[in-house]
Amino acid sequence: MLRYVARRVLNMVPLLFGVSLVSFLVIQLSPGDFLAEIRLNPVVSGDTVEQMRRNFGLDQPLHIQYLKWLWSILRFDFGYSFAYQVPVGWLIGTRLLNTLILNLAALVIAWTLAVPIGIRAATRQYSWSDNSLSMAAYLGISTPTFFSGLLLLFFAFRTGWLPIGGMTSLDHELLPAGARVLDVARHLIIPATVLGVGAAAGLMRQMRGNLLEVLRQDYVRTAKAKGLAERPVIYKHAVRNAINPLITIFGFEIGGLLSGSAILENVVGWPGLGQLILESVIRKDLYVVMASLMLGSVTLVLGNLIADILLAVADPRIRYD
Amino acid sequence: MVRRASSYLLVAVLVLTLLATMAGAGAAPRLPDLPKPVVDASAPDIGKYGGTFVTSTFSDPRTFNPVVAQDTVSNTVVEGTTSSLVDQNYLTGEMEPALAESWTVSRDGRTWTFTLRDKLVWSDGQPLTVDDVVFTLEAIFTPGVDGSLRDPLTFRGQRVQWRKLDGRRIQFQTPRDQPPVGLFLRLIAIPIVPKHKLADALGKGGAEFSRTWGLNVNARDMVSSGPFVFQSYTPGQRFILVRNTRYWKVDRNGQRLPYLTRYILQILPNQEASRLRFLAKETDAYEARPAEFAQLKQQERQGNFTVYDGPETFGRTFLVFNQNPAAVKPPKLAWFQDARFRRALAHAIDQNAIIQQVFAGRATPPTSEITVGNKLYYNANLRPYPYGIERAQQLLAEAGYRRGSDGFLRDAQGNVVEFTMITNAGNVDREAIGNLVRQDFTRLGIRVSFVPESFPSLVGKLTGTYNWEAIIIGFTGSLEPGTDSRNVWLSSGDLHMWWPKQEKPATQWEAEIDRIFEQLPAELDQAKRKQMYFRFQEIVYENLPMLYFPYLKTQPAIRNTIGNVKLGLQGHTPGLPGWSVPATTTYFKGAYRP
Amino acid sequence: MALAWQQLRKHRVAMVGGAILVILYTLALFADFIAPYSLDWSDRGHFYHPPIMPRFIDAAGHVSLRPFVYETTLADPALRIYTIDARKQHHLRFFVRGEPYRLLWILPSNIHLFGVDPPGRIFLMGTDQFGRDLFSRILFGARVSLIIGILVVGITIPIGMVFGGIAGYYGGRIDNVMMRLVEVIIAFPGFYLLLTLSAVLPQNMGCTTRFYMIVVILSFIGWAGFSRLIRGFVLSLKEREFVLAAKAMGLDDLRIILKHVLPNTSSLAIVVATLAIPGAILGESGLSFLGFGVREPCASWGNLLSAGANLINLGRSPWLLIPGFFIVLAVVAYNFLGDGMRDAFDPRLRTG
Repeated sequence: MLRYVARRVLNMVPLLFGVSLVSFLVIQLSPGDFLAEIRLNPVVSGDTVEQMRRNFGLDQPLHIQYLKWLWSILRFDFGYSFAYQVPVGWLIGTRLLNTLILNLAALVIAWTLAVPIGIRAATRQYSWSDNSLSMAAYLGISTPTFFSGLLLLFFAFRTGWLPIGGMTSLDHELLPAGARVLDVARHLIIPATVLGVGAAAGLMRQMRGNLLEVLRQDYVRTAKAKGLAERPVIYKHAVRNAINPLITIFGFEIGGLLSGSAILENVVGWPGLGQLILESVIRKDLYVVMASLMLGSVTLVLGNLIADILLAVADPRIRYD
Repeated sequence: MVRRASSYLLVAVLVLTLLATMAGAGAAPRLPDLPKPVVDASAPDIGKYGGTFVTSTFSDPRTFNPVVAQDTVSNTVVEGTTSSLVDQNYLTGEMEPALAESWTVSRDGRTWTFTLRDKLVWSDGQPLTVDDVVFTLEAIFTPGVDGSLRDPLTFRGQRVQWRKLDGRRIQFQTPRDQPPVGLFLRLIAIPIVPKHKLADALGKGGAEFSRTWGLNVNARDMVSSGPFVFQSYTPGQRFILVRNTRYWKVDRNGQRLPYLTRYILQILPNQEASRLRFLAKETDAYEARPAEFAQLKQQERQGNFTVYDGPETFGRTFLVFNQNPAAVKPPKLAWFQDARFRRALAHAIDQNAIIQQVFAGRATPPTSEITVGNKLYYNANLRPYPYGIERAQQLLAEAGYRRGSDGFLRDAQGNVVEFTMITNAGNVDREAIGNLVRQDFTRLGIRVSFVPESFPSLVGKLTGTYNWEAIIIGFTGSLEPGTDSRNVWLSSGDLHMWWPKQEKPATQWEAEIDRIFEQLPAELDQAKRKQMYFRFQEIVYENLPMLYFPYLKTQPAIRNTIGNVKLGLQGHTPGLPGWSVPATTTYFKGAYRP
Repeated sequence: MALAWQQLRKHRVAMVGGAILVILYTLALFADFIAPYSLDWSDRGHFYHPPIMPRFIDAAGHVSLRPFVYETTLADPALRIYTIDARKQHHLRFFVRGEPYRLLWILPSNIHLFGVDPPGRIFLMGTDQFGRDLFSRILFGARVSLIIGILVVGITIPIGMVFGGIAGYYGGRIDNVMMRLVEVIIAFPGFYLLLTLSAVLPQNMGCTTRFYMIVVILSFIGWAGFSRLIRGFVLSLKEREFVLAAKAMGLDDLRIILKHVLPNTSSLAIVVATLAIPGAILGESGLSFLGFGVREPCASWGNLLSAGANLINLGRSPWLLIPGFFIVLAVVAYNFLGDGMRDAFDPRLRTG
């Protein structure tokens, strides 16, 4: 097992190299560069812009730029953001935790909703509750997040129960530690619910489908025929087998922890990575985009790895070598 | 006997008190540690101390370093925490003494001598002297420090010269040839940075200096000479400024300004969130969109705020055709270079539809480059081009363009008139305008396509490859276009969009504009400058290198608990973020957030 | 196949989903005919107009068997208020002459299903900022939103199947190399790939060209994951008897893959398809929200919704949010259908 993990980790290296190359090319291919805004500022002369271009290293040929970046990455120097003139590492670090919190909360909501509901829907297939739960699930995934986010913000405004977006209140710094956690939790409710319910819907259907399949398996029918009570049969044997593909999905979701929430962060004003990356891509703030893409890829690959490991743990038949 | 003496005494005391009061009334306010503070006379009321003022902005600041700051949000912080030698009065637009208490200019207009106020201090108590001014200038011109402060102080490739005369006086010298006497005060209004805090960084080079006082700054390292001091910044959420107890301005009663305890800017992701927070009374001011004006007016009572019918801004949006022979080939070049063609199309722009549909009535029909919001220099003699498809067709016919049997417009050589208009995607207003214009031009028989593009791509075309045909774009403006629009209007300019970097002016009218812009900075007399600006607007109006779209009005909404709200040029108000009017005289009339 | 179809018909909910989709696609196909106004037609005097439904009872209380509408004029442009002129009636007519178009892209015609004589207007779902009829634009937008998913799936499935089939069948080094390539694409956070690719697109292409480019981009994200799925499936399939038999018979690899192995993955493919199509619809609306999707003057449900979804409209002109309802309807219908199909194709789920 350990050898397998080691091999996977080693495989990551050429993978990341490939991803970085592709990202770099794609970004550079799009027309224009970071200096677009400044060029259009009538106060700044063309000469100054040219100087800035040299200072940012944007006048060098593409392969030189890429190699320079690669060299500094290997020394864990992620470069400076053009827009903010601060180290990219610092910039991302300030937002990373926020996005993690949001996506983890959404994950928790999604799974606590999906698994029991999925089980219930499967055990009562085609019944009224199955169909209505399916319907609710579909509605959950069918609405574009920017739309549901907007509606919920408006709802928060109308009722005054929940904060209207953002992550902390005005006087957050002055609150004692416990109150600070509660403050963030209150602000977390709307965005995490939107994301969580959306993810729960898909998960629930998977759970339902998988469980249905397992329930039709011969060994289950045998167990039932032998007279074992329904409940233990379902929960002990069937669910455990049905969960298997869901673990793979869980791995994907860990991988998506950093990138899945960008649009929602934008609508609701959650100060996370998604917002930062969106505007950096649009502005062509090269090093920020590269660093965040690398980060995203690493988490994706790690997520897959974790999923595979969990699978091996859950299902003794699976062997990697 | 005693009674008469006491009544004499009473009268004497009364007279003496009267005399003393009269003597005192003429004296300027003094602060114990600041002999000659500036009195802010623009504010209507004397305010009360206390309160936290909250407003919102749409993006994070990019830096807190005043020398490199360029974007709007960073400049909000800079305006609140720095001061310059001179300041613009937001009501009249005139330049007033700020850190400098007086100045003289030599007869030839080349040499300026400024005298700093006595006993100025930074927020940490360190004295503010000419050394700081000199340091700021050195920083601006250090290689590797890139910002927008360098070019205004460079005249024909020569930078302004400066010399420290003593602890309170500094002298500037501008080049011999046409010294910019008329506009120098505006150009020298640069934010002064503290030498004792930034000298180390500058010593390490320009690149290092540019990165100091960035977003990762430690608040203790920042000192201020403005009304507020930087306290904290939480990425993606807000930044907080607190009152500068050592600020050099007082109100008419001699009380030190500002009144507010804290000034907080919330960073909100979009307009919707901003509006909701304002209506929920979480923020105190909101820059409303044109379409919101009428609705907000109805909600004034319930929300306890007032939405003002603000004046127009200096900004303009326009359509430019590419007249650059290096980029556009005949027959298109011939059409775009034909002033009659451009004038005909100006008649095909339905300004009223744009005003009603895009801006919900909150805009004014345009004439030329200077907008009606510019009270000093707007040329009211020009009338907007009236909308008329028939008139447009008539003018086109007179210029040799006719509609064929297939409905398409053709030039004299028989080529179908067609072109592509672009603008920056995501700007909803420009996209809407482009749509309307496309429809009308199509009615003339022109084959127009309208394609919004990403901003970097657009700029790449506009300033790099010149590979475009027609662009809808806009600029913000200032009171004196002579200071900041040179690059656009000089025929040799980089941003002379329709034909940049000309070696010599391509047309008579461009040559005339060149002459005007060369003479403007040297003209001290404002009345004469006004004449020049008037003539400038006439030329642009006749030749239409740009076809203008309506001038936008502003509609700031401000909570009624806020005092000293007085709208100035462009609808700017103390406290409303993003513009050069920090909340120096803002105060809370009633209950406030501590 | 026939067995699966029979099974599907028993699944009532899936049938409902299928029926809804048939209706939507028919509307899209005949959009020019059904829509009273063309895509770009606008009435500048009637912007942000509320929906106009045909009436049967007039202002005086008389019932009329022929439905009609009243003319309206703009009373307050800032508050978007219109007043009705009860004296001017226009009757609803069917098979009217209107803007010319080409039926099914071939037959020139100018007959529309219904309409009213100008200056009367029949805005069944109101108008937008420019005075364009929303109902007509939703019908034309259906063409984009409903087709995008099918096109994306039409590209993703074959490419993914062939790629995954080859990798799974040959195994070993070929499998290794192919899957590494696939992993690079999967490892790339999909959302940002979408974003950067959309930003790369050359800008002055017409509506349709841009639409196809977006299809290509959305496919680029999807095929990698799908090929991984197929490859896994094929890995197990290739040890089955029928494959070994085919090999023994001397059939060449390509034929085996194409004619024997891949058809067995078809059930998987169909299910993935019916679940990926709604994903593409939502993906397009997300791109439109960010400004990278289909652009004006073309309509898609995504860009109609993102243009309409702001608070001012929520309060003043809520009809502009109707495209959202259509998106939800189509996605839900596809999901019902997909579920039914999955159940139908799975032999173990056969119900009596």
